[in-house]
Amino acid sequence: MSNIYAALEIGTTRTVLAVGEADTGGRLRVTSHAEIPSTGVRKSQILDIPQATQSIRSVLHEIERRQEASGSKITIGNAFLAVSGQHVKADPFSAPVQVENARVSDEAINAVIRESHSMTLPRDRELLDVIEQDYVVDGLGGISSPKGMSGRVLSLNTLQIHADRNRIQNARTAADAAKLEIREPLFATTCAADAVLEDYERRNGVLVIDMGGGSTGYAAYCDGYAAAAGVIGVGGDHVTNDIAHAFQTTNAQAEGMKVREASALVSASTGESSRVRVEPGENTLMDNRTVSRRALDTVVNVRMMELFTVIRETLEDHDLLHRLHAGAVLTGGGARLRNVDVLAAQTLCMNVRIGRPTHVDGLDDVEFPAAFATIAGTLLYAHRNYEERSILDGLFGRFFK
Amino acid sequence: MNGESSMILIGIGTAGAAIARGVSRAFGGGLRLVLADTDAATGEAGGPFTLLGGDRLSGRGAGGDVVAGRLAAEDSVKVLDEHLDGVRLAIIVTALGGGTGGGATLETAKHLSARGVPSVVFATTPFSFEGEDRQRNARGIMSMIEDAANSTFFLPLDKLVDNVDNMQEAMRRAIDTVASGVTLFWRLVERPGYIRLDTERLRHIISGAGRGRFAAVTAQGQGRASEVVDRLIRSEMLATSSGPVRSTLCGILAGDDLLLSEVGKIADGVRGAFAGLTFDLATVNDEATFSGRISVVLMLFESGAKAEDEARPGSVMSGRRRRTKGALSSGPTGRGRFKNAEPTIWNGEDLDIPTFIRKNLNLDF
Repeated sequence: MSNIYAALEIGTTRTVLAVGEADTGGRLRVTSHAEIPSTGVRKSQILDIPQATQSIRSVLHEIERRQEASGSKITIGNAFLAVSGQHVKADPFSAPVQVENARVSDEAINAVIRESHSMTLPRDRELLDVIEQDYVVDGLGGISSPKGMSGRVLSLNTLQIHADRNRIQNARTAADAAKLEIREPLFATTCAADAVLEDYERRNGVLVIDMGGGSTGYAAYCDGYAAAAGVIGVGGDHVTNDIAHAFQTTNAQAEGMKVREASALVSASTGESSRVRVEPGENTLMDNRTVSRRALDTVVNVRMMELFTVIRETLEDHDLLHRLHAGAVLTGGGARLRNVDVLAAQTLCMNVRIGRPTHVDGLDDVEFPAAFATIAGTLLYAHRNYEERSILDGLFGRFFK
Repeated sequence: MNGESSMILIGIGTAGAAIARGVSRAFGGGLRLVLADTDAATGEAGGPFTLLGGDRLSGRGAGGDVVAGRLAAEDSVKVLDEHLDGVRLAIIVTALGGGTGGGATLETAKHLSARGVPSVVFATTPFSFEGEDRQRNARGIMSMIEDAANSTFFLPLDKLVDNVDNMQEAMRRAIDTVASGVTLFWRLVERPGYIRLDTERLRHIISGAGRGRFAAVTAQGQGRASEVVDRLIRSEMLATSSGPVRSTLCGILAGDDLLLSEVGKIADGVRGAFAGLTFDLATVNDEATFSGRISVVLMLFESGAKAEDEARPGSVMSGRRRRTKGALSSGPTGRGRFKNAEPTIWNGEDLDIPTFIRKNLNLDF
């Protein structure tokens, strides 16, 4: 039996669970996935643990039901957790080590890697990832392989991604109550990037924007590694909220208008008389109501343009915008919004594409693969980093309880 | 202030700088001027020059890319601050169609607005022979400039200059025509006559005035008052938009030979032809410049603070924020459903509040 992993994402709008398995060629395949609308989550934060637990139980049961239907019976005991939300931060860190005999050896490299993973975080923060960037020898940076180089001081630039410990613990608590152990929390955006990016894009400079319901993550890659990352606490939920405010609708009606009708661009060709029907809600007095399509698109346009402007200005502050020659890749359910890629291209002044998780098989049946980039990337991380560990040892103790 | 003008003229882009230089030459001393362009060559013609986006574009221009023009201006717009001491009103002259004229004008107007300096934009729109790309560039940025500036005058070059076959000559005449119109406007404020139009009054008039139409005509000899009225009524420049006129500003520039009956004839003629809700009249008495002739500058404003009900869809509302027809209140904090969530603050703004509310957008389509 090959290695099997599970990945969980407790998002603002949906909770997703997926199971992946490496095939004999070593390539990962998603064998089963399930999603249900989330409750008790806002802006990527769990506000109601029992509701979040119920969402997790539901996706667990759905996965197990599907597995049973296909003739295999499993019980999922643990999963890797994709974490998002504006509490996730990324800080640069490097710790120099002295080089013996003025020539960089394997020992020196191992020592500097150990040191670079030793950043002390405040007690309320939990480390999600340490991204190794470039080596620096006696002040000379941009080195990818320092072995054998002459110098006295070696350091490794890293990007330390960490998150609020309590928020992660809330997810663990919710999962525990559903009898699911959280194996390792991971940063959702870099997971999504792993699923959709090609190596040449990372080398040439690329930006990944993971558009979730409650927040939007970004990760900028230059020279092959992540140079900056972060999360902005604005997501698709804000668009829905804006529409609901603008046109006095319920959130469900606003969500319907966003998904079915709205565009991130206000087309000059849209006549002022063009109207969008508001789906009837519980209040039948408001049946057959319509709103202006231009007004709807304007509400969406200004929100999304603002979001991309925030990202652009953040990257300019990092002096990265001009280095992203491979453009930007949009992932997440928010990327489904009509013309959002065009608006992103206009606002960021770069080529933009919608990302598909190309490094993982088994998602051909999903309607919008970009929405599964994070979960696919989380499985990919597990596959790449735990491949050598015998999952069979813990098969019945860890993964399948 | 030390007697220094409280208005500044900002010429943006190559053509904008040429227009601004023309105004400066015609007006003479005392005019506060700054020129800004992404093309370093524009600075070589003299005048206080700011290179926009030097690091980004290396002084080679925006290449017709409005976004590049915007980014370049964002990089450098704060350099303008050193010219803004004591400035109460900024006049921007530019030409739309390329990258800098549109992009940098937008960012400059936004920056001025953020500093509390109202701006009036005089922008030419391309000749039809310049091609659809430049026309589209201009159209795309016009509404955004309208949102950022207090008042805008878009001057279609096709209507400004006609019966000219030579392209260079058409451009030269266009620049001269706009420059002379803006010069008259400038004189109106800086050389007030018996009926004053000073910066503060102009500031009040243009605040939230929105899109306007602008024309300037000159006549001399007997019947000059009737002639200017007649030419204004027939002016193509005053028929460039279909929006209703809400207010009118009429400036008469003349020498000491200006008769009271001529003032009355012009005022009555303009009032009759362009009936607006409000009418402002100003005069300039400048014997040296205008002896024997009359120049009239006419500005028609299509909307304004008094015409909020008919403000343009999607435009920034002037004055107090108004709720969209039938819109829900977002509560005292405006954060709506996010009121109990951790706020997202960016540059002092709470991003949980709907963007259209924070930007005062009118959604009454």
